[in-house]
Amino acid sequence: MKFGIFFELSTPRPLTRQNEWQVYHNGLEQCRLADELGFDHVWAVEHHFLEEYSHCSSPEVFLSAVAAQTRRIRIGHGAVVCVPEMNHPVRVAERAAALDIISNGRLEVGTARSSTWTELGGFQVNPDDTKKTWDEFCRVLPKMWTQEEFEWQGKGFSMPSRNVLPKPYQNPHPPMWVTVTTPGTELDAADRGLGCLGVSAAGYEEQERRTKEYHRRIQLCDPVGGVINDQVHTMNFLYCDEDYRKARDIGVPMVNAFNVANTHLYWTREAYPTRAYQTLGNAGAGMKAKKAAGDNPSLAKGLPEGVGVGDPEHLINTIKKWEEIGVTGINFLLNAMEMVPQEQVLASMKLFAKEVMPRFRSKEDLAAPVYTPTSLPAFVGAEK
Amino acid sequence: MIVGSANIETLAEDAATIESFGKSEIVFEDVVCLQMTMEMRNQAREAVLPKGLHPTVPATLSMQAWEIGPSPFGEFKMVVCRIGCRSGVRARGYSTRVYANTQIAVTALKQQFGFSTQLAEIEFRHSFDGTDVKVIFESRVIFEAACLDPEPMSNSDVQYTGTLNLAHTPNGLRLVQLEAHHVASQVERLSSRLLSFDGEAWGNSLLDPYTVVSASLAYETVTFPPVRFVCKPDELAFTGTESV
Repeated sequence: MKFGIFFELSTPRPLTRQNEWQVYHNGLEQCRLADELGFDHVWAVEHHFLEEYSHCSSPEVFLSAVAAQTRRIRIGHGAVVCVPEMNHPVRVAERAAALDIISNGRLEVGTARSSTWTELGGFQVNPDDTKKTWDEFCRVLPKMWTQEEFEWQGKGFSMPSRNVLPKPYQNPHPPMWVTVTTPGTELDAADRGLGCLGVSAAGYEEQERRTKEYHRRIQLCDPVGGVINDQVHTMNFLYCDEDYRKARDIGVPMVNAFNVANTHLYWTREAYPTRAYQTLGNAGAGMKAKKAAGDNPSLAKGLPEGVGVGDPEHLINTIKKWEEIGVTGINFLLNAMEMVPQEQVLASMKLFAKEVMPRFRSKEDLAAPVYTPTSLPAFVGAEK
Repeated sequence: MIVGSANIETLAEDAATIESFGKSEIVFEDVVCLQMTMEMRNQAREAVLPKGLHPTVPATLSMQAWEIGPSPFGEFKMVVCRIGCRSGVRARGYSTRVYANTQIAVTALKQQFGFSTQLAEIEFRHSFDGTDVKVIFESRVIFEAACLDPEPMSNSDVQYTGTLNLAHTPNGLRLVQLEAHHVASQVERLSSRLLSFDGEAWGNSLLDPYTVVSASLAYETVTFPPVRFVCKPDELAFTGTESV
């Protein structure tokens, strides 16, 4: 089981420059601690215009700082929005390669297509096209990273032959992922040999069904890149305290604040009739689960199953359950809207690393040396 | 988290009255519904919503024009102006004003569902080449839209959110949650232009839809179930919701 931390860089009102500065710098401090404590990944999303919910519009910049301030934790650039109006694919390839070099080969690249009208409308994107351009990006990025002469005639973009530079440090290229919000996207990931980066909380039963099918399908995949990434990571929340009640008292409002901010975004499904968006983004799962209770608007008080808020014993049992159903990693959101004071976030991380993390690590894992450039696989043909 | 800042007492002046909540559903079997979604400027974002609701980001406004065939209220047309919002974590539209073209419908919409409704002349033309809607109130055009180039869509491709009507109810002044259930037999997406919109006539002169996001036309059956929940207008839905 791998453990990661996950950043939306949500910022509470008032939207002052001081608040944004604090959120970014608290995040960087959490990354440094996560690196020391043995967390495996740090992920930063790409979102635009999402007031309060996410001020993380340039994740590659944030992650460059993380790379410079850490030694072993892997850097999750995810997910990059694979829509040409937002990111030209050449720029995605170039930025990712540079980040891989800066981080000494610690990069993971997530791909996505955005699910809010807030973002797509802001860049005047036709929602009908985003699945097509996402697919195109997934296929061209590995080529740009590995070929000295790349040219393309496609749907989202075309270009004459060029050498896209620099090439990534990892050979043949960083592991690739797909963020999964809509049910069924995990199968798109499997068919392309891409890792499944869950960003919406599904229940155990639903996750088990989807994970099983993902693992079956990826055996038959036609990989878009030079490596198959068959990991299934889910997104979760983390607040750990020795006192279960205290953990819930602090963690539940944090989870609720995130969910409320999330549902206030303007979803493409709500704004624009299209086949391409059949669910309400990552609000969909939670809302569906609550439908059974009669569409009661007051429901946001409790927590769905499997959430990482509680004492160490509760978290161990929760994570065991996720492990049993085939999840290979969990990426935790540590805070939302700065609801939890930074000292408490750091204390929660430390307690988790001390009491919970070792239960999911072998002695070999714990004894493994810090991940440094010298331990990277040898280059094959990348130094021509 | 942003929430509405409208003066509840001012809003209450325009609110309809529901003497008692109905116990049975009402089915409209022959409905044509045009839904036009627009972004509006932030000047009205909080100003038009009561404190119990959150605006969407960006601020949005949708117009729904309905042509209803034989029904318990006879045949009629109505046009609803709704502000995109959230009640707790639920996607909703807060209705600011409704116009209907028959007095029977005006009365029924006010008394049974709490729509703030007035009588107006409504033109609603839908055909193979497009759809036009015009609302004329006191000899003034207060809403006009032209929608062209219908494109067939799957019946599940259109999303309708529940409507909240501020009304005087047996529970007091409340946001009445109307969870209309739409079953479409044919759906089209259209490209549309807003030709006229009079904010004051739709509840607030600050309302300023300035860019069209989408428009859809559906031929459908719509069921209005009995009201199940109401919310206090000055309290967030997490604590201010009441079962009926």
